[in-house]
Amino acid sequence: MVSRPPTEQELVERAKRGDEDAYGELVRAHQGIAFRTAYLVAGNAAEAEDAAQEAFVRAYRALGRFRRGSPFRPWLLKIVANEARNRRRSSGRRAALILRAGEEGSSGGAAPSPEGALLAGEDRERLLAAVNALREEERLVIACRYFLELSEEETAAALGLRIGTVKSRTSRALGHLRESYA
Amino acid sequence: MPELDVVLRELGRNVGFPPTPDLTSAVRRRLGERRSWRRPVALALAMLVVALGAALAVPAARTALLDWLGLRGVHVVRVEQLPTVPASGDLDLGRRVTLAEARRRAPWLLVPAETPDRVYVNDILPEGKVSFLWGTPTSVRLLLTEFRGQAFVDKLIQPGAKVEMVDVGDEGAWFEEPHVVAFRDSNGNFRESTARLVGKTLFWQQGDVTLRLEGELSKEQALRIARSTGE
Repeated sequence: MVSRPPTEQELVERAKRGDEDAYGELVRAHQGIAFRTAYLVAGNAAEAEDAAQEAFVRAYRALGRFRRGSPFRPWLLKIVANEARNRRRSSGRRAALILRAGEEGSSGGAAPSPEGALLAGEDRERLLAAVNALREEERLVIACRYFLELSEEETAAALGLRIGTVKSRTSRALGHLRESYA
Repeated sequence: MPELDVVLRELGRNVGFPPTPDLTSAVRRRLGERRSWRRPVALALAMLVVALGAALAVPAARTALLDWLGLRGVHVVRVEQLPTVPASGDLDLGRRVTLAEARRRAPWLLVPAETPDRVYVNDILPEGKVSFLWGTPTSVRLLLTEFRGQAFVDKLIQPGAKVEMVDVGDEGAWFEEPHVVAFRDSNGNFRESTARLVGKTLFWQQGDVTLRLEGELSKEQALRIARSTGE
């Protein structure tokens, strides 16, 4: 028999039956996107960690309601974003998104724009500042779609919106960015 | 300039998200805790009459004990080790309301004779949960919590913890040790909360209302307040 890594659906089915190892694999596979989504919504790392952890525990208990065959990630991100929103309300502030200090593995200092980069360093700063200056609802859509590279469906699930709303809000936000960044 | 969406994607790869913490171990640990205490709870439920009979500080008639276990809202369960509950310091009181609003949400409410400083309603239980607070949320002198109905509540205590049956309402019990209250919320989820104050608690039942009084107070003071609480 050829052993191959289990598919996500298989892991979900095993987790549903109480297999915590299988669920651990799902957590490992999704913790990065879950944490970053929570960070976008909650706006600080501690709340994001707390929200993501709680969301994974809740999702495990809610697996019975998970529809077989549907994709796991949007379902999970919806729970994550809910937890993150609850925490944001209580703490209020959110941090602006910032650029990474340098490319990974570099010894720090001002990182030169990598070869072939579309934007020079200062333009990145400017564009990110423009994103940060967007209204919260537009900033979230832009960050989910382009920074986390979530699909429209995943963005809709995470932000509790209809797909049509995600589309229209994204194009409105892009319009605002073009104006302020021009 | 290239298309904005392409540029944004590239920008996204340069956004400095904080490093992802290791959630896997934390989540696994929490799932494990749940498993390891729910089973003992089930076992303990089967044996609790014996366990309690052995541990009650006041020699109680067996019939009274059985009656007490029949408290509609509360079961007392002795476990080897109390589950770990996140110490959030949050009393989870819900929203602050006026007494009239609390009565509207919970028509079954029993109101204490001494006027509380604040009243809260939490919809965590199907028929609502009402808290009367004396002091402020950050400096609680006394907290009276009430709920009604088939909320499944387990009160978890450690071996050797003192439980004393007291004469208040239909049935009552006095706890002087830390304990954990586990219950099912409106969504059917199991939740836990620690006794958030000093661990001295009076639990009693009046009709189909379960009441819990917590604070730094003597048993006599607690009983006086409890007996003054009514329609």
